[in-house]
Amino acid sequence: MDFANTPSFFRSGLKPGTRLVLCVVASVALLIGDSRYNLMEQARDGMSLVLYPLQRAVNMPLGLARHASDYFTDQAELKADNARLRTQQLEMSARLSRLESLERELTELRNLNGIKATRPDAEQLAETLYTGRDPFSYKIIIDKGADVSLKPGQPVVDSRGLMGQITRVQPLTAEVTLIIDKNQMVPVMISRTGERAILYGYGGGVEIRYLPQHADVRENDMVVTSGIDGLFPEGIPVARVSKVERNAGAAFSRITTEPVAGVQQTRFVLVLREKGQTPPRPVAPVAPAKKTKGKKPADSE
Amino acid sequence: MPFDRPHELLKPVKRRFIFFSLLLAVLVELIPLPHGSTRWLPDFISLVLLYWVINQPRRVSVGIAFLMGLVADIATAGLFGQHALAYSVTAFLALSRQRQLVMFNLGQQALSVLGLMMANQAIMVVARMLTGAAFVGWAYFLPPLIGALLWPLLTKLMLLPYRHHQV
Repeated sequence: MDFANTPSFFRSGLKPGTRLVLCVVASVALLIGDSRYNLMEQARDGMSLVLYPLQRAVNMPLGLARHASDYFTDQAELKADNARLRTQQLEMSARLSRLESLERELTELRNLNGIKATRPDAEQLAETLYTGRDPFSYKIIIDKGADVSLKPGQPVVDSRGLMGQITRVQPLTAEVTLIIDKNQMVPVMISRTGERAILYGYGGGVEIRYLPQHADVRENDMVVTSGIDGLFPEGIPVARVSKVERNAGAAFSRITTEPVAGVQQTRFVLVLREKGQTPPRPVAPVAPAKKTKGKKPADSE
Repeated sequence: MPFDRPHELLKPVKRRFIFFSLLLAVLVELIPLPHGSTRWLPDFISLVLLYWVINQPRRVSVGIAFLMGLVADIATAGLFGQHALAYSVTAFLALSRQRQLVMFNLGQQALSVLGLMMANQAIMVVARMLTGAAFVGWAYFLPPLIGALLWPLLTKLMLLPYRHHQV
């Protein structure tokens, strides 16, 4: 018999201590390899391929539940013929709530479709598969990946504005780092004045840093992408200024902003093509004091 | 009262039941849950893992904990190795006091599990902070509390298929 507290007379294999040391060494090596040198991409790709059917399987009950609820509403309609007055009200309210959710979904899709029609650079409509459970990083997983030839670096928008950027592409899924992630930066400009700045995510929100005190920024200013990075197309709404604090002691004003896209709620997203044709780097630094580097590509386009 | 035997006679645990329960925990982890619920939902993989380490130490030990940690790393899209590190350390801690843990009653066990899962979270926080993330706040230590509260329920559920007599 195999009881939990039967002592084992014959030690089999390594001692737990040795095993622990082995495992700790292995996991520390993995941690360093992943965080410093990105060595684990291959393994991650492979494992994500294995987990994909599981993710689908877990998502399936939701779909089935939706089917089942549809089936039962049909039944309710049949019943309504018998007890019409009583059931009608119930049915109506149930239908109303369903309609509302459908309507929301429809407008979301329609808005995205509008963007897709008007934007020549729209590439791929995708659905959020799930959000990464890790509270340290703000990432979502979408259901398109290398199979539709997405590439890391492509911007991702929803119907309202910029959501983030693809950071990792796996065979069937892709990981989108949201703009509110700590390591995410977006070159932006204040749409009212054209003042350029960089929007930093700080983990849960975004803010504009390093704007001088005298910069003309007001509350409710729209912040849009500036497009000078050659990556994000210009003019996508990113955030709205919610608060401007000018502290006489500090060198920069403190500007709090709110992202306009539903960065953590949207279900359907649109992956845009990179702005592309980044001009090649100047080959030889002939004159070191060349200040017009940022201007050149704009002229040549 | 004999302390060296379980309180009731149970059927031997099948290997595939262990596998199935761990798989179920991974599946729960993958369910698309509404935003915000991850703040308080306990880490089911580590709960089930601790259950098996405490109750079947010869089947499930540090090695399995390490492997499950790798799976958890993939499933949560976190840093590779953080869960693996945390799980193998806590599995070792549980293993080194396993003889005492099985003789505890459920309340005492829940307290020890609380400590172990806190250690889990602490290791992960330290690992993330060393690789450059900011501190996420004390709410990160809420899930172990819920997990410890769920421990008696989990134990009862896991014993259910192994009772001889259906009550």
